[in-house]
Amino acid sequence: MRAIKAILLRNLTAFSRDKMRFFFTLFMSGFFLFIFSFVMKAAATGIAAPMSYLISGIIIMTVFQSALNNSMNIIEDVASGFMKEIMVAPIARWQISLGQIASATVISVLQGMLIVIIGFFIGLKLDLFHFIEVAAVMVVVGITFASIGLYLATLSKNSSTFQVIISVIAMPLTFLSGAYIPTTVLPSFLSPVIYLNPLTYTTSAFRSVALETDGMTEAAMLHNGIAFDIGGFIVTPHIALTIVVLIGILFFSLCVQRFNRADFSQVKVFHRRHR
Amino acid sequence: MSKIIEVHNFTKTYGDQVAVNNISFDVDEGSVFAFLGPNGAGKTTTINTLCTILEKTSGSLKIAGHDVNADQAKVRRDIGIVFQESTLDSNLTVEENLALHCDFYNVPKVEVQDRIGFALDLVGLLDWQKAMVKSLSGGMKRRVEIARGLVHFPKVLFLDEPTTGLDPQTRANIWDYICTVQRQKNMTIFMTTHYMDEAEICDKVAIIDHGEIVAFDTPSHLKRMHTSDIVKIKTSDGIGLQEYLRKNEIAFSEKDNVFMVQSGSITATLDLLSRWKDSIIDFEVHKGTLNDVFIAITGKEIRK
Repeated sequence: MRAIKAILLRNLTAFSRDKMRFFFTLFMSGFFLFIFSFVMKAAATGIAAPMSYLISGIIIMTVFQSALNNSMNIIEDVASGFMKEIMVAPIARWQISLGQIASATVISVLQGMLIVIIGFFIGLKLDLFHFIEVAAVMVVVGITFASIGLYLATLSKNSSTFQVIISVIAMPLTFLSGAYIPTTVLPSFLSPVIYLNPLTYTTSAFRSVALETDGMTEAAMLHNGIAFDIGGFIVTPHIALTIVVLIGILFFSLCVQRFNRADFSQVKVFHRRHR
Repeated sequence: MSKIIEVHNFTKTYGDQVAVNNISFDVDEGSVFAFLGPNGAGKTTTINTLCTILEKTSGSLKIAGHDVNADQAKVRRDIGIVFQESTLDSNLTVEENLALHCDFYNVPKVEVQDRIGFALDLVGLLDWQKAMVKSLSGGMKRRVEIARGLVHFPKVLFLDEPTTGLDPQTRANIWDYICTVQRQKNMTIFMTTHYMDEAEICDKVAIIDHGEIVAFDTPSHLKRMHTSDIVKIKTSDGIGLQEYLRKNEIAFSEKDNVFMVQSGSITATLDLLSRWKDSIIDFEVHKGTLNDVFIAITGKEIRK
């Protein structure tokens, strides 16, 4: 327990000192909010509260990206040599992975909460019950993508190109998830990609609690891009959340298992990334 | 004295390449032991296997009676390591790095502050506790690593090329710290180096070349066995000295009346000098070094 807590605190300390990175993520969220608000006004017809709709997408994408990046950060510990210090310490590998996932989750939820607070100023409304629900879904999404990030990190053989590849893959997936642009306005030939994209379900599950869509009819949810009709099967936000939880469980066990056997001495380090 | 490290028939291969070939050696508890040899001789491979981060190919390796493969966790608790390259967290302060290490090694919480103070005092960095690691110089970082390596009071402290790339003064200081802590805590020190002169302070050295141990003894015994003293004599009576050396079959070389004489022992040197004291203008005695031992044993200068 002491080792997990130590890793958690260490990562939080490092994060709190990296102010540039923090402001950069905040700036990107603000920028997306600004740009896509025009898209929402022009393209989204029939969506009741377009700004809340957009900001809920931005909140969950912030959580997703932050969780993924912060757990993948372990690659930088390999590059800096610090990983060796952890590897020879009398602590079990699963404790290291747990500490890493926990810290990535905490950081991502904190960043998400910050956007929620900004959201309150521009029209997002949540009662206490839904606020707790929103926080809970954030934690689930945080753990899921922190696990995926750590799993991907164990596959890496080369520190710097790896993170570039991940961001090149992650970028289009965020745009095809409905977070910034409603999936309903995207052309139908993209539907297979949208339906295979785990971020689609992440967004839908989160948006449905953030927008308090409890009383909405199925047809309305479909119209708002919160539920999906895949060949007659309706994926409701509850099913979407189940999908996210299942992916999370899968990758959590996969990454802990792989991390136990990962050989970090083989990772090539060409140059240190400056963030 | 009990054996703290026991290595028997240890072999490590990488694919077809044999890094370490069937070596065996013991290290006494509380002693300073050095692995000497050129880069690529197998020193780091041996250290990394003892430190549980590499898997052996065959053989048996034990630290304080625990097998390094079967009892990984117990071995890790008993050892401290200072790697060749930096393994500090540069985003943390000196103190935070050491505190984190104490958490990993489960140092009793009430002792943590005292231990950090002790370790930093030893390496002369007590005033730098709150400094960010990334703001320190290379030599200071190395000292922080040494402090961190021993803050949990390990039974064996491994030092892999602890002084490579440091200036002579820092190198000398680092050996002072290491010797001090070794005496205070009766810690066993296991180090590798390719600076032969640094190995002089050791109780025992093993010379390793191409994955095999070619010599294993105390530095003084090795020097006695494999080197002889050289006396450099500048004389006004070159012809007389040359004749004397020839007659007594003493090996020498000569250039412009400066003789390099292989005198063999201290008595022989004193005898030679007193016999020719009237014509000697100047003289120097060169003691054999571990580098000479290395050349004598392997037939080549150490590859750096």
